[in-house]
Formats: sequence, C-alpha cells, structure tokens
Amino acid sequence: MTDPQAAPLLPVTDDVDTGEFFAAAARGELAIRVCGECRVDLHLPRENCPRCGAFTREWRTVGPTGTLYSWTVVEHQVHPAYPVPYTVVLVELDDAKDVRLLGRIDGRPALEIGQPMQAWFEQIGDVTLPQWRPTSSQEENA
Amino acid sequence: MSDATWKPGACSIVGIGATDFSKASGRSPLTLAAQASRAALADAGIDPRQVDGIVRCDMDLVSAPALADSLGVADLTYWGEAGPGGSGPAAMVGQAVAAVQAGLATTVVVFRSLNGRSGNRYGLVGERGATGGDGSYEEFFLPYGMQTAGQFFAVAARRYAHEHGLSIDGLAHGLGSIALASRAHANRNPDAQFFQRTMTRDDYLASRMLADPLRLFDFCLESDGAAAVVVTTTERARDLAGSAVPILSVAQGTGHGVQPGQMFPALLRPSITSWPSAAAAPTLFGRAGISAGDVDVAQVYDCFTITVLIQLEDYGFVAPGQAAHLAESDLSVGGLLPLNTSGGHLSEAYIHGMNHVLEGVRQVRGTSTNQVEGAEISFVTSAPPPGASALVLGADR
Ligand SMILES: [Zn+2]
Repeated sequence: MTDPQAAPLLPVTDDVDTGEFFAAAARGELAIRVCGECRVDLHLPRENCPRCGAFTREWRTVGPTGTLYSWTVVEHQVHPAYPVPYTVVLVELDDAKDVRLLGRIDGRPALEIGQPMQAWFEQIGDVTLPQWRPTSSQEENA
Repeated sequence: MSDATWKPGACSIVGIGATDFSKASGRSPLTLAAQASRAALADAGIDPRQVDGIVRCDMDLVSAPALADSLGVADLTYWGEAGPGGSGPAAMVGQAVAAVQAGLATTVVVFRSLNGRSGNRYGLVGERGATGGDGSYEEFFLPYGMQTAGQFFAVAARRYAHEHGLSIDGLAHGLGSIALASRAHANRNPDAQFFQRTMTRDDYLASRMLADPLRLFDFCLESDGAAAVVVTTTERARDLAGSAVPILSVAQGTGHGVQPGQMFPALLRPSITSWPSAAAAPTLFGRAGISAGDVDVAQVYDCFTITVLIQLEDYGFVAPGQAAHLAESDLSVGGLLPLNTSGGHLSEAYIHGMNHVLEGVRQVRGTSTNQVEGAEISFVTSAPPPGASALVLGADR
C-alpha cells in the first residue's frame, strides 16, 4: 500500500495567519505568533487575540527545544506517502509552555513523556517543515 | 446551576426510527434519511405532511429542504443545523426544542444520515496541492502524518494514562472493558452489526494495533445508515398514538481555549484529557435538577473507547483518572452504570451519535433489547472534542 511515488502532504506557506511560521522555518527558526498588545503567545496563530481583543500581528523567535507531551505510533497505513510504522510526537516548547508542535519520526522509537526534544528542519522541495526528535539521539547523530 | 428559563419536560421525543445498519447500504443518504424519518413519524403516529421543522447535522449531505420534499411536507417553517459532526445529535434535539418552544415550528424531525462506510469515509486525505490554510490549520497536522481521528485520540489516550499514573497495560484494561461491555450489549441487539459476534478480552488484546495505544476494537464501526427522532410539545404528545419521552434537559458546551479549526487543533488545548463535555455537564444536570448519580442508564458517545473514559469523568460519574476502574466494574444492564446498551458506535453502528439518542429513548420507554429494569433517567451524550452536547430523558409515568 505504501507508494514511493506518492507525494507527502505539504503545508500552505502563504496563508495570511500561518504563513510566517513556515517562512521562519525556511530561515531555520521556530517562530510563534504573539499578541502585539498583551504579548501572550498565540498558537495556533491568528491575528485576533482571545485575551485582550487586539488585531495586531507580531512574531517571536523561540528556542528549538521542548519536552515530549504525548505521542502515537501509527501502525495502520492511511496515506500512501507515510509508510508505517511511524510516530507522531506532540512537543511542548521550552520557550512557550502554552505552545505544542507536532513532529514525525520513522519507526517506533523508545520515548517517554517529559523527555527533552530537539527541533530540526526538514527540507521537502521548496518547503521547510520543523520536525522533532529526542535530544539524545540528535546528539548521537551530530 | 439554576436556569430559570429552561422548562424540564416541556417537549418530548414522540417517535424514533432508523434504517438497517450496514457496510454498504446501496442507497443514497437522502433515501436513508427519508426512510428513518418516516419510521420515526410512523412510531409517533404523525402524518409526514404535518412536519414543519427539520434539524440536520452540519456535516450531513442531505439538506433540510431536500428531506422535507422527500417526506411530502406541506411547508417547512423552520430548519436548522448543529454540529460539528458527532457533537451534534443532542444539540440538534435541543435546537428542535428551541424551535418548538419559540413557536417557530410544532413538529420537528431531527435526523442524521450517512454512508459512513461505502461513501465518504473519515480521515482519508485525498490528492491535492498544499494542505491547510483558510482557518483550517491542517498545515500543522496533516504533513506530520496526523491524519485520522484514531491517531488524534491515541495521542490523548497516552497522555491520559500518563496524567493518571496508569501503565499502558492498565490503560488497555480500562479501554478493553468499555469495548467488551459494548460488544456484550450488541450481542443481544438484533439490529447491531455485531449481533451474536462475541468477543473475549483476549480477542480484544489480540486485535491489531492501529494507532498505538489504540487497537482495532478501540475504534467504532464505520457504518451506512440513518436515524431520526420527532420532537413536539409534551402537551401535544398526549394526543398522539405513540409513546412520548419527556426531554428533561439538553445542553451544549465548548469550554475555553478550544482553538480554531476542527478536530486536530484540540491537541493544543490546555488539557487534552478533559473535553468540552466538562463545560456542558453542570448546565445539563442543573437544567434537569439531577446529578450524575441519579442516572439509571447512559449512552456515551464512543467513536473510540478512550472517548468514553474521558466523558465519564467530565460528566462527574467518577473523579478524573478513575474511569478505568469504573469500567472494570459492571457496565451491564444489572450493573452500577449500564452503558451503551445498544452496543453503541463500537458494536451497533456509527450513526454519528444519533443511534445513542434512539437507545436513550428506548430505555425509558422500556423497549430496549438490553432493558434496564425500571429505568427512569436516561443520559445521552454527543461528543467532543470541538464541542459537546448531551440530553437527559425521563420516563413518562
Ligand atoms: Zn492580547
């Protein structure tokens, strides 16, 4: 069922609310939308702030580290470009505790909730996708 | 929470109807909707031409005017919709109550119809260009292989185990208890797709892992079919031939910090182990003037087994982290909390929450194939994550 010719799903990179996240990724940075008035982190990014009501857009660069919040090992093939098994990780950012980002890791890595995670940037054609892996394996691979 | 404007029991469900449930109906959603609606109207003793209101789910492929046309309705004076998706059915009944109470309609059909197996299946991502944008926020999920509801709930399930100090084996035991209770009920429900197909705990544990820690039997049955109910005033119900079930309470809730977009963004909520059902609970029980302990029988939205554990806690049947223990106690008709007595989504059919409403009605009518003796308070949920709704139905005694 896995089709090596199938194209992976790529994000839109020019959406008015979320495009800057992927523009920052292309520069090798993680950027989080922050309210221009009350400075609260807003992810998922949108222009109107639920806390203070402002409609101003700013972005804040955050560090590429986080902790593992939860994960699933996908064993059932759904999309031809995503061969199983693979693991989807949900990572809480060290620099923005209210923000969680996803990442995908091949196979069934040994993981533990709360363990440190490191971001890296996957280049797929013209698109840069922030990804995550355990900090220890990142160091081993360095 | 008192609510002076809600009138418990002012409206009733006066008829219920459903199609057969299958993997391939061979009929259009409109045909299924008309079949279920006509069955519900026949159950109520109401001529279909007298219907003047229809409420649909916002994900249904059948429009209210199209169904009205199929039913031969003289004039539709009210139509509405609620959702999203599985959050809809109880809210849809609530909308029917609101329309009747406001004088916008007198006789409202509430339906859900889908070819959920042979038609458009959930979670299958089609061929297209760049994904996401326009407020969907799918760009943060689909490219990472987070593409189905099962994967989403698997992430929540693992976090649930972590927060409550359950091992993954302990989690599997709790989830398996939900699956086993549902299957046992389906085994005695001739309309269920798993009628007479028994399952042991070993069968459950041996089933394929689809999105670890969720197995095949933690997933509901994608199904073709439709279900419908008819709502009118309880006063008018007295003049009808059918058996009326008073709606003691209905509530909707989202809670705070839901996140924009649809299901996947809920992984960014402050908590992923408590859902909008926690917000709906005090409104629901306050309107009915009861507490969870008064419930005789429960139909809890079960797209996945973990969804049931979380809702049992959100609605206050047990403290957070204790639902797995409750599940190990007796969920059968003679037990502590008779649960999903038709087999639910896991073992009867996945009619996106509407089949739970029908079973909730049967229980207080005394007509379930897994009847809880003397059931007077019937509880039905329609589920999270984007929003939740629920019903309390009473016996007409
Ligand atoms: Zn603000």
